[in-house]
Amino acid sequence: MRTVGRADGWAKVTGRAAYAGDVRLPGMLYAALVRSPHPHARLLRVVKDAAWSVPGVCAVLTGEDVPYGTYGRRVRDMPVLAREVVRFAGERVAAVAAHSLQAAREAARRVEVHYEPLPAVLDPEEALRPDAPRVHEAAWRYPGAVVGPDDPPNLQSRRVWQYGEDVDAVLSRCPYVFDETYTIPAAHQGYLEPHACVAWWKPDGSVEVWASNKSPHRLRAQLAACLGVPADRVRVMPVYVGGDFGGKGSPMDVPVCVALSQATGRPVKLVVDYEEDLTAANPRHSAVVRVRLGVDGEGRMQALDVRAVVDGGAYAAFKPVEHVNLNGFAEAGNTYRIRAVRIESLIAYTNTVPRGHMRSPGSLEANFAVESTVDVAARALRLDPLEFRLRNVLRTGDRGTLGEPWMEVRGEEVARAALAALREGEGAGEESTADGGRWARGVGFAFYCRAAHGGETEVELRPQPDGSVVVRVPFPDQGGGQHTVVRNVVQRELALPAEAVWVQQADTEELGTDSGVGGSRVSLTASAAAAQACAQLRERLRQEGLEGWELRAALAELARRRPGESVRAQVKVDEELWMNSFCVQAARVRVDRDTGEVRVDELVTALDVAGVLNPPSHRAQVEGGVVMGLGSALCEEVVMEDGRVVSGNLHEYRLPSVSTLPRLRVVLVPGGRGWGPYGVKPVGEMTNVAVAAAVANAVADAVGVRVRRLPISAEAVYRAMQEAGR
Amino acid sequence: MKTPEYVTPTTLREALELLSGAGGGEAVVWAGGTGLGPLLRRGLASPAVLLGLEKVGELGGVQPADGGLRLGATVRLRDLQRSPVVAARVPALADAAGRVGNVRVRSLATLGGHLCHADPAQDLPPVLVALGARVCLVSLRGTRVLPLEEFFVGPLQTVLSPEELLTEVWVPGESASRNTVYARFAPRSPEDYPTVGVAVSVRLDPDGVCQEARVAVGGAGPTVLRITAAEQALVGGVLAGQRIRDAAREVEAAVDPWDDSRGSAEYKRAMARVWTERVLQKLADEV
Amino acid sequence: MSARTVELFVNGRRVQAPVEGAEFLAEFLRERLGLAGTKVGCGIGACGLCTVWMDGQVVSSCLVPAVVAAGRHVWTVEGLTDLAEGRVTDAPPGLPSPQLVQAVQRAFVQCEGLQCGICTPGQVWAVCALLSEEPRPSEERVREFLAGNLCRCTGYQGILRAVRQASEEWAPSEDP
Repeated sequence: MRTVGRADGWAKVTGRAAYAGDVRLPGMLYAALVRSPHPHARLLRVVKDAAWSVPGVCAVLTGEDVPYGTYGRRVRDMPVLAREVVRFAGERVAAVAAHSLQAAREAARRVEVHYEPLPAVLDPEEALRPDAPRVHEAAWRYPGAVVGPDDPPNLQSRRVWQYGEDVDAVLSRCPYVFDETYTIPAAHQGYLEPHACVAWWKPDGSVEVWASNKSPHRLRAQLAACLGVPADRVRVMPVYVGGDFGGKGSPMDVPVCVALSQATGRPVKLVVDYEEDLTAANPRHSAVVRVRLGVDGEGRMQALDVRAVVDGGAYAAFKPVEHVNLNGFAEAGNTYRIRAVRIESLIAYTNTVPRGHMRSPGSLEANFAVESTVDVAARALRLDPLEFRLRNVLRTGDRGTLGEPWMEVRGEEVARAALAALREGEGAGEESTADGGRWARGVGFAFYCRAAHGGETEVELRPQPDGSVVVRVPFPDQGGGQHTVVRNVVQRELALPAEAVWVQQADTEELGTDSGVGGSRVSLTASAAAAQACAQLRERLRQEGLEGWELRAALAELARRRPGESVRAQVKVDEELWMNSFCVQAARVRVDRDTGEVRVDELVTALDVAGVLNPPSHRAQVEGGVVMGLGSALCEEVVMEDGRVVSGNLHEYRLPSVSTLPRLRVVLVPGGRGWGPYGVKPVGEMTNVAVAAAVANAVADAVGVRVRRLPISAEAVYRAMQEAGR
Repeated sequence: MKTPEYVTPTTLREALELLSGAGGGEAVVWAGGTGLGPLLRRGLASPAVLLGLEKVGELGGVQPADGGLRLGATVRLRDLQRSPVVAARVPALADAAGRVGNVRVRSLATLGGHLCHADPAQDLPPVLVALGARVCLVSLRGTRVLPLEEFFVGPLQTVLSPEELLTEVWVPGESASRNTVYARFAPRSPEDYPTVGVAVSVRLDPDGVCQEARVAVGGAGPTVLRITAAEQALVGGVLAGQRIRDAAREVEAAVDPWDDSRGSAEYKRAMARVWTERVLQKLADEV
Repeated sequence: MSARTVELFVNGRRVQAPVEGAEFLAEFLRERLGLAGTKVGCGIGACGLCTVWMDGQVVSSCLVPAVVAAGRHVWTVEGLTDLAEGRVTDAPPGLPSPQLVQAVQRAFVQCEGLQCGICTPGQVWAVCALLSEEPRPSEERVREFLAGNLCRCTGYQGILRAVRQASEEWAPSEDP
């Protein structure tokens, strides 16, 4: 039994893998931030004297001192430091650099800021009313804004997806219409490495940056736009990223760190406290989702109307997609045949922490609402919930709910596999039935379907004199295993042992193109680019007359003849591939009848797969996603009071721990059609989505009550049972 | 900003002198620091002197005493959890000590630090109150011994004066002859503070009649609460049915919780009742 | 700001460095000594990223002020790796054996016991400490011991597999 394991494994178990916060440079200063305690206030004045009196302080900056523009991933509405007004509690108001971290923190505590509190708008529904206080005077003026002067004043983005017949007309003809509303709170991505960066403004005006960011090339472009310099002045250096899950794709605190470096002429390190990350970074959007589902007399879904009102927080800067919305909402109901679909997502500015992407953005919100409603419908119609789903499930040959020409849909097969696995597990884990009737047991299902998307990247191969190959990639490994995927592809294509393939992240000057790690696209693009680079390398060997040689000898010979020579392959994969993956999530739960406590005994996750480049990493992605989904289902919530995040540490914000895990069972259903030379399908965002709905449905099965708000706390279930008189 | 000095006296007298001001007067006791550490980190406390107690021999150790236990203030929770003498005499205490935080926290946190921190949702106060524990508070001016329930004043507040040290905890011998059960209800995560924690210690005669009872609830008021009305409801009868329900109702009526992330006041009140019933049922079943 | 000099033993070597204000052992190791293998997460002892070995036990180095660590013996992931790679000649008693460390590190790599890796140094320390104390722990015991070492990536499955593999390698069961 000898498996090679991950390409980045050894560096990580020995503590040698370097993350942004690990960088130490000669003469480096440490930064600390001053943040607003008010959700909305006018900044009257900032008194720096006491901060300057701390020995070792080298810079104290406010918004007026920073010569840069605003920043953002798409809409550039976020100031580097607040000017004139603060728009959320936690917004950066001032920044300090000092010779030690302790001096910086002490000085930051001594910066005196005078505010005049302003009326705050804290609810998105209220924010969209015409008379609501304005979060921004003229949001449409920001570069990249997708709203106009005639839109409601606090609108960040409105998106409507529509296909088929008129939804209202079809709904009016349905004998059964289920009208349900669900609430999904903000959640932190839960990466354990808080945001960190080191920035160095060099005397020649170039900037070097080490940052906990998953998309170095995009970061470079976003920084250049903010700093007002050409992109080639900014160089983003390679570091590992300590977890991302959607939260590490923005410049975050890098611009202020650059400003401190520019002001002092020294490299500056800025690592925020975890508390700052929990209260003032870019948590998942909170949403209220109304679902109207029309079903005919035969139990067939006819129409689906979804309207989400989403809290975007004080800035739109953390949403990267074209319409600055949450594309996961487009998936509402997409696992079923439905003739008329309309989905609307309204995102509003409020005076709360700006929201960002979290693993499958929008998907969990849509899925929890729709898959709970589907269960409500099945139970009302006295149909078995799984049978009801299978009666309506989308099949190969069907157009998608929004007209997608899917190349295949494997929902039925996947559901049957989930059911079979669930039945196998029946009885296990139910050690004690003599519990005095304390526990009620139930089973729930939820379906999920997600489209694959393309992107672009580049891979470089550098033959070495010892016959090994160094593979340079432009993206970090934020944990997804993409460096290992690339190693495996090169290993396979060149028939090399794993130890002869060394994957390294290049900095942004060395390789030119990359769309970053995100949207589960990197296995697609990187495997294709790696395979293509290998083909080019073989061609080079042929040109050199080395094709008959043993490969390692040939590589060594090439490296000797042409020192430093490399081959590069760029790949651009279409955004729309009309390929999807299907996941069926089942949950087996127990509910304490007297307390409402929910214990999840087993989670069965069945997943449609094609080619798998690295089975252990693939499995780990599936398992990690399921447990993250369990956190969303049961315990995770960014709690706000009066616009301030109060769940500000890891005692209050509870991540799942190893002590509470249910039995996980992963069922891969092979045989799907993948994309590219290895026929792959994405996996990273497949399994965290449907757990919440599956657990909610299982709770309903166990005790007959429906929890319409996440997380499904013991108290929520208890109250629902009390109200239902159970 | 000051860089605190860490001083580690070797005798109790020396420690008390430092605390009373002879050594500068700004000393704060460092007794594991799992509660104080985060306050220092956030700048919410910045003492000039941290008074470490680990070298004061008199403050350490777990000893059998009069059929009960004498527990030194600097005993680490992990040692309490793993102590054979604690496990033998009052297993509920060893068990509760093993449920505080996580292994790294238990390796640092001490019994004295835990009690002086006085968070109302902690695990050991209800167990120790149910066991009838007393604490010994010593200053240069003298010594006082209090029942633990009188030690707590409010959230993060105790009767300890600035120049006093909690030196040891006495668990009386008669508690070892009682049955004690502690249940912590932490539905979000076993590592969380409990929503409520209920400890009950009873002595039953051979017929199962309750001779003596002590009931304490954590997480449901400004301090751990000893609920004598529930105790009275238990004494004199067999632990069963209506008697259990009556005692649990007394608990529900007596607790005084507030809303927080572990539950609303109303929910905690109801849970105090449910878990009192369960703890009593467990005690009844053990007979 | 008034600094103090602190002297302690890190990975078997006597070290001396200034500390300032509320400087904790985790930051002292990382910023003063350049031992960045110890990571910092929550700052309140809840996540386990900063797990180190101090005077015979695993502790959260984010909870220990550097001045409190004075005179103590601290071992970080770098020291653990030195131990595994044979660079420690006179390891004090109580430290995990080099073969155990090797088995644990290997198991984490092979069993996908890590993804992003930020929690890994702390996980590796925790598992070494557990298996030193108890070479063949039950699943329940493993979960109890590791409950305070959070991991967001793996869903813990790979970590549990790694613990089983390392335990099996380090203390093989009697069964054939």
